[in-house]
Amino acid sequence: MRLFGKFALVGAAMAVSTALAIPASLAEDSLYLPNLAYRTGPFAATGIPLMDGQRDYIAMLNARDGGLNGVKLNYDECETGYNTEKGVECYEKTKDKALVTQPWSTGITLQVLPKSNVDKIPILAPGYGFSPMAEGKIFQWAFNPPASYWDGASMILKYISGGNLDSLKGKKIVLLHLDAPYGKEPIPLFEDMAKKHGFTFLAIPVGVKEMQNQSAQWLQIRREKPDYVLMWGWGAMNAGAASEAVKTHFPMDHFIGIWWSGHDGDMKTVGEGGKGYKSISWSVPVSDAPVMQDIKKYVLDAKVNTIGEGEFDWVFYQRGVLISMFLTEGIKTAQEHFNAKVITPEQLRWGLENLNFDEARIKALGADGMIAPFKTTCADHAGHAGGWILQWDGSKFVKASDLLTADRDAIVPLEQAKAKEYAEANKPWPTNDECKM
Amino acid sequence: MDLAYQILVKPFSDMVSAPDFLMQVLWDGLVSGVLYALIALGFVLIFKSSRIFNFAQGIMVVFAALTLVGFYQAGVPAWLAVLLTLAVMFVLAVAIERVVLRPLVNQPDIILFMATIGITYFLVGFGEFVFGGENKVMITEQLHIPTGTFEFKPFGGFVSISQTDLTAVIGAGILVTVLLVFLSRTKIGRAIRALGDDHQAALSVGISLSMIWVIVWFIAGIIALATGIVWGARAGVSFALEVIAYKALPVLMLGGLESVLGAIVGGLAIGIFEKLFEIYWGQPLLGGNTETWFAFVFALIVLLFRPQGMFGEKIIERV
Repeated sequence: MRLFGKFALVGAAMAVSTALAIPASLAEDSLYLPNLAYRTGPFAATGIPLMDGQRDYIAMLNARDGGLNGVKLNYDECETGYNTEKGVECYEKTKDKALVTQPWSTGITLQVLPKSNVDKIPILAPGYGFSPMAEGKIFQWAFNPPASYWDGASMILKYISGGNLDSLKGKKIVLLHLDAPYGKEPIPLFEDMAKKHGFTFLAIPVGVKEMQNQSAQWLQIRREKPDYVLMWGWGAMNAGAASEAVKTHFPMDHFIGIWWSGHDGDMKTVGEGGKGYKSISWSVPVSDAPVMQDIKKYVLDAKVNTIGEGEFDWVFYQRGVLISMFLTEGIKTAQEHFNAKVITPEQLRWGLENLNFDEARIKALGADGMIAPFKTTCADHAGHAGGWILQWDGSKFVKASDLLTADRDAIVPLEQAKAKEYAEANKPWPTNDECKM
Repeated sequence: MDLAYQILVKPFSDMVSAPDFLMQVLWDGLVSGVLYALIALGFVLIFKSSRIFNFAQGIMVVFAALTLVGFYQAGVPAWLAVLLTLAVMFVLAVAIERVVLRPLVNQPDIILFMATIGITYFLVGFGEFVFGGENKVMITEQLHIPTGTFEFKPFGGFVSISQTDLTAVIGAGILVTVLLVFLSRTKIGRAIRALGDDHQAALSVGISLSMIWVIVWFIAGIIALATGIVWGARAGVSFALEVIAYKALPVLMLGGLESVLGAIVGGLAIGIFEKLFEIYWGQPLLGGNTETWFAFVFALIVLLFRPQGMFGEKIIERV
């Protein structure tokens, strides 16, 4: 009897451990979607509205539709504080049951990029990360829809040159950038374009500790007298730069940031002084869009989640919504293709390689006017959607241009070269030879 | 030869050829210096009286600024919000003394230092819980701090002086003067200095350790509020303000951890020299962003000759 008792105990322990070992996604018939979020630390102010938007779109789908095809979506945040080491810890902590990795910083993306080949979990880095990740044949597991940083840089150049980049000949363009992998990302493209089109390019770095006191950088700008200042800024750096631009008398309409430098929360601290500042953006806030109204109805008014005052109308909150939409569309595409409700990370990869945000689908999703159409393939993991220039009117960002698209003919050779260079430097690097596109 | 020209001749010829620009560089350096000195002062005061390196000074700046803006957003008039924030900083000082410092009396310095790291994490979490992590606008205008600019046109160029920066320089000057008078002319000030000199001797003549610690942490709270207002006016109030505390470290190395005068002179020296170096040598020759390391190298050179810092006390310990 005593022996039987021991066996029973061992059996029970094994049963419990087996149950624990089953991925949560299978056990609860839900899909585990971790997000390496940052709601704390020096960049929290920019992280919060983005994460809120992501979280609330998922919450809306759960409340309105019961998840995706009857499967609940288990959105979970792991706090990184925008710190690369903590980001890697979060990746390791969540990878066993994760359907996707959302690293939320170029630094973290670069760290988990080689791991994705081993762990076979797709990395979803919308509008950020390493630009050559768009090369799907080389970066099989990484996705940066709807546009890469190099696309953004190209769109800005197209905008300031009126479509003819040769007209920039003899002009001086400064890139004011955060001294971090993210900030340095567009430099190769700008250098390449400067050589081709004869403009002078100068990169001015801003250290994290100097974000709020950029007087030295703006003194340099005053001395260099550039025609345009472009900005790859993040967090407090954006507001710090705008304040200094006002002080330096730099014409605000010649000051243009990338999409992460167009945050209402940052510009509100500058207010009227920042009037005229521009930012390229692949998303446009449309608060009365059906998807936004559904979030309001099912999540905010129902008090499922709460957000800050005015945040609902912000560019970043609504961009967060779109980012989750990319993920859920990838899941839905995979569910339909594989005829499965609970999908695997490998199947999600297929879904993300077959995103089709055409006009009809965008409208069906209730996001009409919020984003330009794009499509991904196994060879193109970005989709290269267009973007618009948004301009700060003193209280909010308003659309200030027609749809701009990147000069892909100029970018592709550089993208391919840098992707190959990366694969070469990280040998053996598996590539997707099955992709025949 | 060309490099020698770039290092030894060109920077000075640039200074002479554009004197208005040089004036702007010096002014901006002075403003940065005053702001660094202000942060360093918070560290010095606490170290002077208790030998604790207060790791929490940076988060105290954030906490004070967030409290001020939080009160204002709750409908409290601006000046009353300042008074209420000071009251909160006082309560914080009392709480730190009761909960953290008192139980750790007579513990090694490193234990107290670790305790201040604990205070930092607590304030980060508590601050985010109460105020959220969003960027907030400093109530500069409501506090009647001017926000325009004075512009001069010397030597055919222009020099722009932000009225907010000017107010910061004047305000910091007044704060430092009051502090120096308080430390040297009042009974409590002398008690703080006595504690800094010798804990046991000070205790033996009846100086209350707990009272002095509360006062010192409260003064550090006042300095944190002033720093938060000044820095918050530049780029908003958010947890990003915490990182500015790191700018005080080379100031402390340079000026010495116990010297109020050292914090001021060290702050000003680093502010001005790092700006001059960045503009005339760093940007043309090293690709810029030398401000991230210049102050540390500068302090290191000083430490080679004066290990106790420019104004620090030479400590001789009998073994």
